[in-house]
Amino acid sequence: MKILPTRPLRLPRLRTYVPRPEDPKIFWFNSERADILDDVVRRIMERYDAEESVELALNDAAYHEIRRLEASKSEGARKKLEYWRGILRRVGRMSIEGKHETLRELAQSMAKDVAGNFDPRVYHFASRFVPGVLTAAMNPSSIVSNVLRGGGRMDDLVTAEGPLDKIRHISKRGTVVLVPTHSSNLDSIAIAWALFREGLSPVVYGAGKNLFTNPIISFFMHNLGAYRVDRRVRAMLYKEILKAYSCVAIERGYHSLFFPGGTRSRSGAIESRLKLGLAGTGVEAAARNYARGIDRPVYFVPATINYALVLEAETLIEDYLKEEGRARYIIEDDEFSRIERWISFFNKFRGLDSVCVIRFGEPLDPFGNEVDEQGRSKAPDGRIIDADSYVSRRGTVSVDSRRDAAYTRALGKVLAAAYQRETVIMATQLVAHVVFRRLVRATPGLDLFARLRHRGSIAIPSDELVEEIGQTRDRLVALEEQGRVHVSNFVRRQPPQNILDGVLTTWSGYHSARPIVRMHNGSLIAEDPNLLLFYQNRVRNFAPDIAGDQEADQIAAREIAGMGRDA
Amino acid sequence: MSLPIAVVGGGSFGQGLAKAAASGGRQVVLWSRHPDRIEGGDAITATDAWSDIAAAELVFFAVPSAYVAGVADELGRHLDGSHLLVHVSRGLVGDELATVSEVLGTRTPCRRVGALAGPLVARNLASGEPGGAIIGSPFPEVVDAVSEAIGGPRLRVYGTDDVIGVEIASALVGLVALAVGYAARLGMGPGALAVLATRGLAEATRVGEARRGQSRTFAGLAGAGDLIAAVAGDGRPEIEFGKALAEGATISEAVHRTGAYIEGTALASHVVAFGARHRIQVPLADGIAHLMRGEITAEQLTERLMARPARRE
Repeated sequence: MKILPTRPLRLPRLRTYVPRPEDPKIFWFNSERADILDDVVRRIMERYDAEESVELALNDAAYHEIRRLEASKSEGARKKLEYWRGILRRVGRMSIEGKHETLRELAQSMAKDVAGNFDPRVYHFASRFVPGVLTAAMNPSSIVSNVLRGGGRMDDLVTAEGPLDKIRHISKRGTVVLVPTHSSNLDSIAIAWALFREGLSPVVYGAGKNLFTNPIISFFMHNLGAYRVDRRVRAMLYKEILKAYSCVAIERGYHSLFFPGGTRSRSGAIESRLKLGLAGTGVEAAARNYARGIDRPVYFVPATINYALVLEAETLIEDYLKEEGRARYIIEDDEFSRIERWISFFNKFRGLDSVCVIRFGEPLDPFGNEVDEQGRSKAPDGRIIDADSYVSRRGTVSVDSRRDAAYTRALGKVLAAAYQRETVIMATQLVAHVVFRRLVRATPGLDLFARLRHRGSIAIPSDELVEEIGQTRDRLVALEEQGRVHVSNFVRRQPPQNILDGVLTTWSGYHSARPIVRMHNGSLIAEDPNLLLFYQNRVRNFAPDIAGDQEADQIAAREIAGMGRDA
Repeated sequence: MSLPIAVVGGGSFGQGLAKAAASGGRQVVLWSRHPDRIEGGDAITATDAWSDIAAAELVFFAVPSAYVAGVADELGRHLDGSHLLVHVSRGLVGDELATVSEVLGTRTPCRRVGALAGPLVARNLASGEPGGAIIGSPFPEVVDAVSEAIGGPRLRVYGTDDVIGVEIASALVGLVALAVGYAARLGMGPGALAVLATRGLAEATRVGEARRGQSRTFAGLAGAGDLIAAVAGDGRPEIEFGKALAEGATISEAVHRTGAYIEGTALASHVVAFGARHRIQVPLADGIAHLMRGEITAEQLTERLMARPARRE
């Protein structure tokens, strides 16, 4: 078992699956894998062609790996440490050919470690049985029928919205780079399921190496197109390899998925500042295809993944509230790794109509323009324009890393705006916001942390709360009509009392440390302001627009909106 | 043969840019609503047809911020991703202080946008007096194209990728210059003017950083350089506008007297709203906004600014 994190299991090749013409491109991934790795290594060698840059790359890699490995106590780490120290000792004396050869070996080894795998047999198995297993967790009495029936209640629990026909169409025309918001480790599973059910191709995606520590999850991830990203490796060379791998995959037409926010949203809010990271390689890939005359455009598809309950909410908000916690990227001991929390999580949705709404936004070209049904770029006035004009100058198409970095930053802003518009407000977030706004109103002049200490001291009479939920919901629906946000069907259609009851049932007993809220003598008591903050943060940017007309409500709403700006 | 350069806007700045580019040997197409009023020449062709602009690669956009959206919509119908679009506006749009390059980036298909700023005034551009400017754009080809178009032995053109910083600095220096003109006309001495100018620049830097600009941009040509030129008397309309207000003119009279569109009249209120929302102290913008609305007198403004506690700089 111990080797699984480093060498994920693959199924034996007893009967090789021969892809059919109608199968998605990713079904051919394994047959192209060696070529992809060769391409990656060739690009790295071109990138570090000059002697000084090879030496710098080797020194940098050795320095960072030695630092990392010195902190590790494992036997494997000691052996690797010797290897890297050897490189550091020899690099100054190596011939230019020796340096290039060493770089090539390192690049090959790192690229091999990163590279993913796609086994259609695992894909067919997972798409048929995993949803059943998950839904069976919700209803243990019918476990056999759920597993055998496949999707089962998963169909009801995860819903997908947005221009799905257009996305299906353009995914046949070019490469789709799916860029969703990220709030839970369940995101990959939820989106993989949604893609399968909507007839969209599976995607390749980078997953943190920390997620490969669970052997079962590791097995599925490794065999379903995930490539491994080890955030502990700081070497410049490694980052270049990740970029090259992702760029080559996109160029070759493998639909890809990135979480441009980087890590899961600690605050629960929709990401507003996107670094894009590896997703930026989509811009370079498009430019490279245009430059070589390959007619395979790249499309970015923003999506929001909206949960009524977030599996890891407690850990995430705790981490967010710790000053130093913001830099803690790798969490291995959160709720995601505890199976009883999964069962409890799925059990909680009986009161609501869906666990999760995935809303896809309008597909964009790499330069932030919307595209039509045929995947052609549209100017703001609706005119069709050539996307390759963005990477050409005086008629010549080129690849330019500084230019493409600027396009990537600009695209990040367009995606962040799309996230706001495509957010689907869930019932838990609406109720949390209304209660939190009351908390802010009742504690004028206090800072956030002082407010969060008000546990159990704010009571809101039930009838007042229900009325306020109804009014706030109506204002959200008005914003939805203006195209600024979306609300879930449950929020839109149910009477406010049902919304409150559904949320109370959902929250009741899930977040284990203490209840988020409880009813006492006809009033709702706010017990856990941290989690209220987490859930309401999804709404915070709209706070001034959905507050009542009273001055106190408006002040509270402005304060809530301001909390986002400090974060 | 090099591509022609286009200039959108037939005001004094647009014409100055056209002359600067033409003096460098480039053909210029100058778009104006009134091409008959443009003083053309061998190298400058005035036009009111948008389609004439499309042949250029570099397009200068010299339109006051109040008209940016409308003109950008029209212009955008004739451009695509190959055009490099550079504006010279000193304005910002709305209470979130959207920059003109942001507006151009959303209302036209152009993404390779930039902002030209610094101690540039229309008269000097046209006459070829020695000077300098800064072009902010994250796209290296935009910086190169502007340098090629108007840079030369008499105009040093520097580049930065901090386009937001350049735009915020340029806009808020206009506001500070207005205040300096006002204070100078009231008879304030060099010491008081220096305090006003430097604290005004510090205020501009705070606002710029909140909009993700870089503080060093404010210490460069777009900020300090521009303000020094204004205070030194390069004939900046904002200074004249401030002086006119100090003499008791109404806003419309002051606009008429300076003969230029002054972005600062609406900008002060936008900066105040932005400061409140982002919890940034903007005492100078606040004072100017009150003054413009006639809510305080010059003496009250001076008292208010001088009574603020002096902290560590």
